[in-house]
Order: sequence, then C-alpha cells, then structure tokens
Amino acid sequence: MAEKPKLIKDDGKRLDGRELDELRPVAIKARVLNNADGSALVIWGKNKIVAGVYGPRECIPRHDQSPYRAVVRCRYNMAPFCSLEEHGRSGPSRRSQELSKVISEAFQNVIIAENFPKTAIDVYIDVLQSDGGTRCAALTAAAVAIADAGIPCKDLICAVAAGKIEGKIVLDLSKDEDNYGQSDNPIAFASRNDDILLYQMDGLLTREEAAEAVEMARVAAKKVHELQKKALQESFEKSGRIIFPIDEKPQKVQ
Amino acid sequence: MARIVVPGEAVSEKPAKMAYTYSDGKKTYATIISMLTDENKLIPLQGPYEPLKDDIIVGYVNDVRFAGYSIALGAPNSAFLASRNTRSTFELGNIVMARIESVDEVGTIDISEAKVLENGRIERISPVKVPRLIGKKNSMISMIADASQCKIVVGRNGFIFITNDGDGALANEAIDIVEAQAHTPGLTDRMADFLSKKCGREIKPRPQENMMEMPRSPPQRREGGYGSRPPRREHGRRKY
Repeated sequence: MAEKPKLIKDDGKRLDGRELDELRPVAIKARVLNNADGSALVIWGKNKIVAGVYGPRECIPRHDQSPYRAVVRCRYNMAPFCSLEEHGRSGPSRRSQELSKVISEAFQNVIIAENFPKTAIDVYIDVLQSDGGTRCAALTAAAVAIADAGIPCKDLICAVAAGKIEGKIVLDLSKDEDNYGQSDNPIAFASRNDDILLYQMDGLLTREEAAEAVEMARVAAKKVHELQKKALQESFEKSGRIIFPIDEKPQKVQ
Repeated sequence: MARIVVPGEAVSEKPAKMAYTYSDGKKTYATIISMLTDENKLIPLQGPYEPLKDDIIVGYVNDVRFAGYSIALGAPNSAFLASRNTRSTFELGNIVMARIESVDEVGTIDISEAKVLENGRIERISPVKVPRLIGKKNSMISMIADASQCKIVVGRNGFIFITNDGDGALANEAIDIVEAQAHTPGLTDRMADFLSKKCGREIKPRPQENMMEMPRSPPQRREGGYGSRPPRREHGRRKY
C-alpha cells in the first residue's frame, strides 16, 4: 500500500485544491443514448457514468412480477477498465450487487409503480471511469434517466457524499480521500422535501459530525438538483433528438 | 410562457386535481417531465402508453391461441383479441387496427373491431406525441398523408401504419420532425412549408373530421387505490 498522502494541505485546501465544502466539477446530460427509453450521462470529477432506463416493460422472469406494482430493478456495474485497480471481468461482484440493491430501494420510494402492474422498470448504470463517489453519481445519473424516460416519479433523487478526512468534515470525497480518510457517507436526498432516501456510513462519525455531514450534503444536493433539472430541460429545448457527445466538459459547481 | 417542469417540481401552490400530478396536501407537484402551459395544464413530453377504453390502436399479431389472438402494442402488456369478438381470422405478423374494449386493474387489454391493415409497415413514435401528430381535427396527419400519398393510420399506442404505395421516406421524415419538435410552437406551419418544398406543390393544413379519432384528454387517475376501481365487465346473459 502506498504511503498515506497529506489529505489537507497547509493552506487548508484539499489534495485537488478544493475547499472543504466544495463539489468536484459536475456535468449532466440527459438523453445520450438513442435506443434506451431514457438515458443520462454524468461526469463528476473523474467519474464517468452512463445510465439507461427501459420500461415499464414486460417483467421477465414472471415470478418477479407483482399484480400491484411495477418492480424497479437497478443494475450497477463497473466496467473492467474503470479504475486503477482491476475490477476483473465485467459482471456482478459482491460490491456491485450491494449497490444495485440500495439504488433500487432508493428509487422504489419515488417511482409511482402502482400505475403499471405486472411490469418491470429496468435501470442499467455503467461506470466507465471511477474516482470515488460513484454510487452518488450513479444515483444522480439514474434519476435523470428515469425522468427522461417519462416514468412517473414523485421526486428527482440527487445524491452527494460527505465524510471526514484528517478530523475535518468534507464534501464529496474523491478516491484518495475515501481510501485514506476516516469516514465516507453517501447520502441521497429527495429534492422536493429533503427526505433522506439512502444513507450509508463507511468509517465512523460522532452524532454531531454526522449531522454536520448531512447538512453539508443537503446544501450541495440542491446544487446538483439544479444541474439535473437543467439537463432535462436542455434535452427538450433544442429541436430534434440529440445524442450528446460523451466528452462533455464539466463545469465548476457554484 | 410555457415552461418545462421535472418530476417533483411544484406546479401549483395549492392542492389541485390535474393529470400527471400529485399533491401532498399543501402543494401540487408534477410526476413526469412535461410542459406547463399558460392555462396551467401539463402536457407530458415523454412517457409510456397508458391504455384507455375506446382508444384506437395499431399492433401486430404476436401469438395465435385457442381463444383468440395476442396483439403486441409496444406497451408492457399485449392486448388480447378474443375469437368471439371477431369474424375474421388472423395470421402471425398481421398488422391490425382495433378499438380497446376494456382495460382491467392489472393491465389486461381486451380489444375488438379488429381490422387487418395490408401492404404496409409499422413505424413507432412516443405515445405522448400522438395527439400532436394527429393535430387539431387531423390537420397534421392529413397534411402528411396528402404530401406523401400514403395511407396512414395512427394508433394511440404510438404505432403508425404507413402503406407501401406513395413516398414512404417523406412520411417517415415528416413523422420524425413532428416527434422531435412536438413541444415547439408553430409546428403545423413549418410542416406545411417543409412538405410544400419537398413536393413542389402547395400543401396546406386542411382540418377534416372523421379521418381518425380525435385527440383524447389525458388519463385521469382514480383516487384511493384499488378499492375504488370500477367493477369488472359482467359476464351476464347476452342480450339480443
């Protein structure tokens, strides 16, 4: 294991020059794929994530289907080439199965599934490049893709991580900060009423620190939500179905 | 000014009963990406087909069973055409137009008045764009049919039947434009210009009745879940 880098520099800034409560540059584009019902691309720092949504469609296998509601199934997947460490061959791993499960459960809270009995809504999320915080970026991408598919939802989910490095609460941890820091908390919010739809804690925080982290993430989630909204609106304001280029330049989040 | 709203965005500051919205008792929120018009009405920009009674649909036979035919609609559930509801026989792959007779609470669709559409093909558009493609009193679709010299049948489910005679490529191009620009104002005039230029003769929107079904109002969701669903169709004695 490499030696632990100094995560907060002498001038009080972080490794990549960010303030403690600053997000990485974020770019969101809706409708990037032609064949999916809805799709989105999120570039979040060095993370590159594509989400595609199909549905509601026939639920196969049929023992999964429910006569009361549509089943919401997410599949989070990391590409074999997405990070420095090898993720082996593409396909489900312990980690990606867990993420698929928690992301599905977050969306089951907001999708109005009762309208579509005996069907399935499939959300496919692929991480093309990862640098920490992929589950938050994945949730953000999937929310835009679901809205783009026109699936009725009560809310647009947006997720941001907050954590602790070198005794300080910081926002949106990168891979190094996650690996060498003390705690990482991915938090997903319902943007309408700030309900928490996902909260995971890796490493420990005290009660006060956790409250501070949630508050920090809540403020940042509002900014991400604005970008999500803008992406969805932009995809309709231009004429024609646009397939956006994948090399979108991320903007600094104000 | 019409604006685009996203799921969870407030469309009214008080509880209101509108299609494609829900209320938490204080405000009303959109559930689907849609256009909020000046008349405070939501026009969805994307979305799946939600079958309703008396919709005219276009589909193709994807299964032949003992009691009838299964018709694929591009919706999550296939429709069922019972043999007792038709005098004709159909083959696998036949393109049919039909009327929805009933939709039950688990999405089973029964259809009747089926008719085979021959010598043509199916194109797909998003079901929420169908009213725009038909236009006011069929003005848009009659214009496209006139310019391309094709016979066109638009199913509410987003399947469009286009006959092989005539300029099918032009019809496709026009339909693609409508789908892409359905939410923009002044589309009928632009389409008239486009088609006139392509055909070298003047094409004007001519509203006509009875060409096809009129655009319907958006589906109204029932209040209060399954207990309040209407009773199923009765299998009583047939009246002569």
